[in-house]
Amino acid sequence: MNMQEGKLTLAVQRKPRSPFASQLLVKTVRLRENVLGYLFLAPSLVLFTLFLFFPLLKSIYLSFQLTDPRGRVAAYVGLDNYSQLFSSELFWNSLTVTGLFTLYTVPVGIVLGIVTAALTHIKLPAMRIFQFMFAMPLALSVSTAAVIWMILFHPTLGMLNYILAQLGITPIQWLTNPSTALLSISMMTIWMQSGFNYIIVLSGLQSISDDMIESAKIDGAGPMRAFLQIVLPLLSPTLFFLAVISIISSFQSFGQIHLLTKGGPAGSTEVFVYSIYKEAFINYQFGTGSALSLVLFAIILALTIVQFVFVEKKVHYQ
Amino acid sequence: MNASLKSGLTITMAIMLFAVTACGGNSPVNTGNAEVPSAANTTGATAAPSDTAKEPIKVVWWHSMGGELGKAVSQLVIDYNASQSDVIVEEVFQGTYDESLNKMKASMDSKSGPSLIQVYEIGSRFMIDSKATTPVQTFVDAEGYDLSQLEENITNYYTFDGKLHSMPFNTSNPILYYNKDLFKAAGLDAEKAPVTFEEIKDAAAKLTQNGQTGASFAIYGWFMEQLFANQGIEYVNNGNGRTASATESQLNNETGLKTLTWWKELVDSKSALNLGRKTDDTKKAFAAGQIAMTLDSTASLRGIVDAVGGKFEVGTGFLPKPADAKDGGVVVGGASLWILNNKPEAEQKAAWDFIKFLAKPETQAYWHINTGYFPITKKAYDEQIVADNLAKYPQFQTAVDQLHQSIPSPASQGAVIGVFPEARQLVETAIEEALTGVKEPQKALDDAAKAITEKIANYNKTVK
Repeated sequence: MNMQEGKLTLAVQRKPRSPFASQLLVKTVRLRENVLGYLFLAPSLVLFTLFLFFPLLKSIYLSFQLTDPRGRVAAYVGLDNYSQLFSSELFWNSLTVTGLFTLYTVPVGIVLGIVTAALTHIKLPAMRIFQFMFAMPLALSVSTAAVIWMILFHPTLGMLNYILAQLGITPIQWLTNPSTALLSISMMTIWMQSGFNYIIVLSGLQSISDDMIESAKIDGAGPMRAFLQIVLPLLSPTLFFLAVISIISSFQSFGQIHLLTKGGPAGSTEVFVYSIYKEAFINYQFGTGSALSLVLFAIILALTIVQFVFVEKKVHYQ
Repeated sequence: MNASLKSGLTITMAIMLFAVTACGGNSPVNTGNAEVPSAANTTGATAAPSDTAKEPIKVVWWHSMGGELGKAVSQLVIDYNASQSDVIVEEVFQGTYDESLNKMKASMDSKSGPSLIQVYEIGSRFMIDSKATTPVQTFVDAEGYDLSQLEENITNYYTFDGKLHSMPFNTSNPILYYNKDLFKAAGLDAEKAPVTFEEIKDAAAKLTQNGQTGASFAIYGWFMEQLFANQGIEYVNNGNGRTASATESQLNNETGLKTLTWWKELVDSKSALNLGRKTDDTKKAFAAGQIAMTLDSTASLRGIVDAVGGKFEVGTGFLPKPADAKDGGVVVGGASLWILNNKPEAEQKAAWDFIKFLAKPETQAYWHINTGYFPITKKAYDEQIVADNLAKYPQFQTAVDQLHQSIPSPASQGAVIGVFPEARQLVETAIEEALTGVKEPQKALDDAAKAITEKIANYNKTVK
């Protein structure tokens, strides 16, 4: 910020109208720049205050209260909501489920992104079609995707089980068996996010200049070596960005779970956000719901900090 | 430079002003709301006598009837609006019962809510405790409306402390649907539906052949409630929450264990499929002839018979119970209509007038044959269209008989819990845990009962 201001004032100073540019003029110019800057920031600040900071503060307040069936504050309970949370099995279950869900979706999603992007990076005439195909899931909303997969997953009439039956494999109870439900949801989520991952990785790939790979080739590197030792390091900022975004979004996944399993069977897909939704909007317990959401906030914040402190060091910026 | 700065400034100022007025303007409206009804009341009272002839009163009705049911609702509203000129009913589909109730909760402190709302039966305790409604009994008493023309076992459900709080509108109960063709193929008597748990088990085992499965019941908490009532056992303490507020769930008693064990044995022995929570998935499997028996609401009857088309003959039977069970009956499911008390008196009266129209024998007869919900009015059965419908769809008879044969008791009157929606979810989780082998039935039921009891205690703390 300061750096930029310095540059701006310098720019102003470089072309002064009058040769006797006084200290005062610089000051007013700087003031003007500042006011203008804040004015440009104002709309987003107002929106942030309305939709982020105010709700956050309200959540903190609500997390110390008990609410009645209408969701109105009924009694102050101090830290009871939190202590109740930490001692409840459901809370730890939803944490575990969220962790597993992240583990299942993020690495596979990123690898899939790299593979699809690498495949379509080759310049061939029909590549546009594949690019379109790989990017397409991005154009679908969660609800549309969930409806498609709901039909695919149907235990007796679904396409997936039909194919399995044709291959002579016993049908799988995709969403109704606790041991497969989370994997099924992860499968669907990976597909759903593959479009976004693909586009991000592809744009990362395209920003790497061909010269570098060319020169590596001249030096005798094969395609694998060029990819692993040249392309991948140059891609690392993109992959890092993707990892941060994917982890945050997998912690916030809700739509597909709400539509496909509602957290069931037997709590096996009850991710953190779903338990917040349940607590706040089905049970109308805004107190415990707020406490839960603050815990989620803390977790995501911690994860992001950890990533920026430790993982970013491994990232190579050009 | 200067000009662009100026215009930028005006734009940002405008945005900020807008934001400030928008959020500042909100709070006075909200706090002022408490006085609005009374103010509106007085204006309504003074304006009503002179204006009624010209300006009809608008009644906004929130309901949860989608699809075919929604079409029937629209038709009823059109008929009512055409039948008189004092009131105009505007129907608004608000999504599922849960969604609609949540929207109502959110709208309670503002004027944007409905004047009349359809709420599912398990939302009744909440509606009363919210103190946001005018009991229907008030209007009944004011004009001496004859409640005896309605079915007692339906009005019983919505009667609390001797007062009818809401008007039943759509009422259903669960019945057994079975595939008569598969019954014949398995050498079973297709004209006699199995009635006990044991008979179901035998039939299901015989029916499981040629890639078909004997039975499948969706994991739906409602079935558990109904199976309890059908064995004459109360779901929660304090007379099912009707003599006093419930404080304890009785889910983990002998009845619960027996019912869940029976269900689990069916699934474990592969004579029943577990198709998850979506009743729709099970319904589709039944209509496709993949399962031979299923439980579903009477409200699905038309849909199922139509979906099956001519592929096979659909049979219907009573909800099963163990051979040694006490006498019981089914609880009326479905929903009722609540008049909200934050609207002017004239509007509430108009809503009541519309309710009376809905309760008429002709209206109920139309509603019944187009949906499968029971008529709430006894005389509706005398209507010709009902008789014609029964001749065409004899399956409707089962539902009607089952309702009439239910023995009135707190068990069949139905449980009342303020936290019913969540309790239902906990029950569904317990069923899932038992069926999929995550927990033993007793353990699953114990855990769910404990959680429900805790939720009830929490609820009772916040309601005075």
